[in-house]
Amino acid sequence: MAALLQIFSSLKLTVILLSASMVLIFFGTIDQVEYGIWHTQKLYFESFVVAWQYPPQWPAGDQLTWVRIPMFGGYTIGGLMLINLTVSYTRRFSLKTAKLGLYAIHFGLILLLVSELLTDLLAVESQMTISENGRANYSQTIRENELVLIDRSDPEFDQVHAIPVDSLKPGKKVQIPDTSLYAQVVSLYPNSQLVQAQGSQNPANRGVAEKMGVTAIPKAPDYSEKAINTVTAYVEILDGQESLGTWLVSNVIDDRFPPQTIQASERDYEIALRFQRHYYPFELELLDFAHDKYPGTEIPFNFSSKIVTHNPDSAKNQQALIYMNHPLRYEGLTFYQASFSPDETATVLQVVRNPGWLLPYVSVLLMGLGMTFQFGLHFTKYLKKRKTA
Amino acid sequence: MLNMNAFQIQRFHWVPLSLLCLALWSLTACDRAQPQSYQIPKEERPANPAPIASTPSTTKTTATVEAEAQPQAQPQNGNSMRVLPGMAEAAKAAGAIQFVTPENWEARTPSGIRKADLYYTNQSTGETANIAVTVFPGDVGGLLANINRWRGQVELPAINSDALAECINSRILSNHSGTYARLIGTQRSILGGLLPFHGKTWFFKLLGDTKTVLEQESAFNAFLDSVRIEDPHH
Repeated sequence: MAALLQIFSSLKLTVILLSASMVLIFFGTIDQVEYGIWHTQKLYFESFVVAWQYPPQWPAGDQLTWVRIPMFGGYTIGGLMLINLTVSYTRRFSLKTAKLGLYAIHFGLILLLVSELLTDLLAVESQMTISENGRANYSQTIRENELVLIDRSDPEFDQVHAIPVDSLKPGKKVQIPDTSLYAQVVSLYPNSQLVQAQGSQNPANRGVAEKMGVTAIPKAPDYSEKAINTVTAYVEILDGQESLGTWLVSNVIDDRFPPQTIQASERDYEIALRFQRHYYPFELELLDFAHDKYPGTEIPFNFSSKIVTHNPDSAKNQQALIYMNHPLRYEGLTFYQASFSPDETATVLQVVRNPGWLLPYVSVLLMGLGMTFQFGLHFTKYLKKRKTA
Repeated sequence: MLNMNAFQIQRFHWVPLSLLCLALWSLTACDRAQPQSYQIPKEERPANPAPIASTPSTTKTTATVEAEAQPQAQPQNGNSMRVLPGMAEAAKAAGAIQFVTPENWEARTPSGIRKADLYYTNQSTGETANIAVTVFPGDVGGLLANINRWRGQVELPAINSDALAECINSRILSNHSGTYARLIGTQRSILGGLLPFHGKTWFFKLLGDTKTVLEQESAFNAFLDSVRIEDPHH
């Protein structure tokens, strides 16, 4: 145990981990060109291990795609750094005034690593689109999709049964929560093109595929910043052991089109694959969206959304103007002005939920104070020595 | 100077602290959304969803139709045409159509899913009407669903199969047995022909304000009489 403790608290491990993180950042930056920031972050920094692959578009890419360099991902390096720092901190800790600054710096660093982890686990970013004089009670994440079955039989509310697409794997049977139904994915395409089926080759036999002869052709995912991939799946729905049929669902077949329905033994459901939604117990109404330009030019100088909140607790209702660097903080969420529709009649707000948002500020403050203290101490000693000399 | 026994602190604290680190680390495995079931307030769906284009379009291009086959992160504006992906190609693959343009009507070049696109403007009132001919694979949900979709477009309530007979009649279209629908709304109305034809369904729709539609009913019927769909099976 002592040997293990020695390893975890060693400076060598710190240097190795810092080197490994530099390697990770280097290869992550290279792949960012190909995969974009969002996918690279998932691949390199939100994983335990990752293998860099020689890009096919590089010279001799056809012959060298077998070249792979495995390395530790962000979770491994970050986790080991956290252990390394904590164990070293604890082993070498002795409460001396002269070292208070160092303790503050190290504790701040530990806090920073913990806050990064908490942000990764708990923070959610999504977008809320509201038309002028319209209301919205949900935001959606265009990078994540979900398979939903919606029961609209109750006159008071709709019951949504949602399964994240990440939980779906071809051949895997997943129970649809709070129902007797199961979803089994036949095929799942991260990006695709919907076309007219040729002949009788269509894995789906219900819904739009049956009525309109639509089928999906898989495409390579597009990782560029503004791309939205057409996620499509063929999903077989089972009621116990009995198959109810196979549906083609896709995030391109959205609210603009008639719903696809499942007739189960107990009730009917609408089935869809859509961007992952986050519903809120309140509504935001857009009173006005303004896109101000400098007079006589097309150069914008301001985008703003005048909104009013509608909360069941009327004491929490408020009106706000959201514009650049002036978000609305409401019910644990932050609403930023993000975009707008081409015809300027709808606004797009970035909705951020990050319970750990304060921790990085605290950690940076601690490190700053620690450094100030430590340098100040040394500087005072130096001045004393100089005076004595 | 404060000083404590460093060894004691090391001995008592490193185990729980390291365990805490490991526990935090292990949380990374929880970074996934889970299946869930929840209630939401009743949602309103668009009044007249696709597949039939609901709004007369004069500027559609192939590029626009392709753009519509992409997932929409933002709502489209009210004049946008809603077309299921692959439908434009299906319409293109369907047989050609011949017809006689009624007097005072203007035939424009059809695009996207349309096989014919005709416009009428009342010179004195400025009111307009549109005849659109579209074709889709399959039965597009069946006769009742299509009639109810059209009824929704002119703000008429949906009907059940028992009431269907009251608003439709049999009609010959391109020498084949089809259906003629009269959907007269308060503000806007639709007169339509529906023809199942070799695994596809053809839709002939006159849409406009009620007064103009009723005035142009005979012209629309003359148009329907003149329609000839190319039959590749003969």
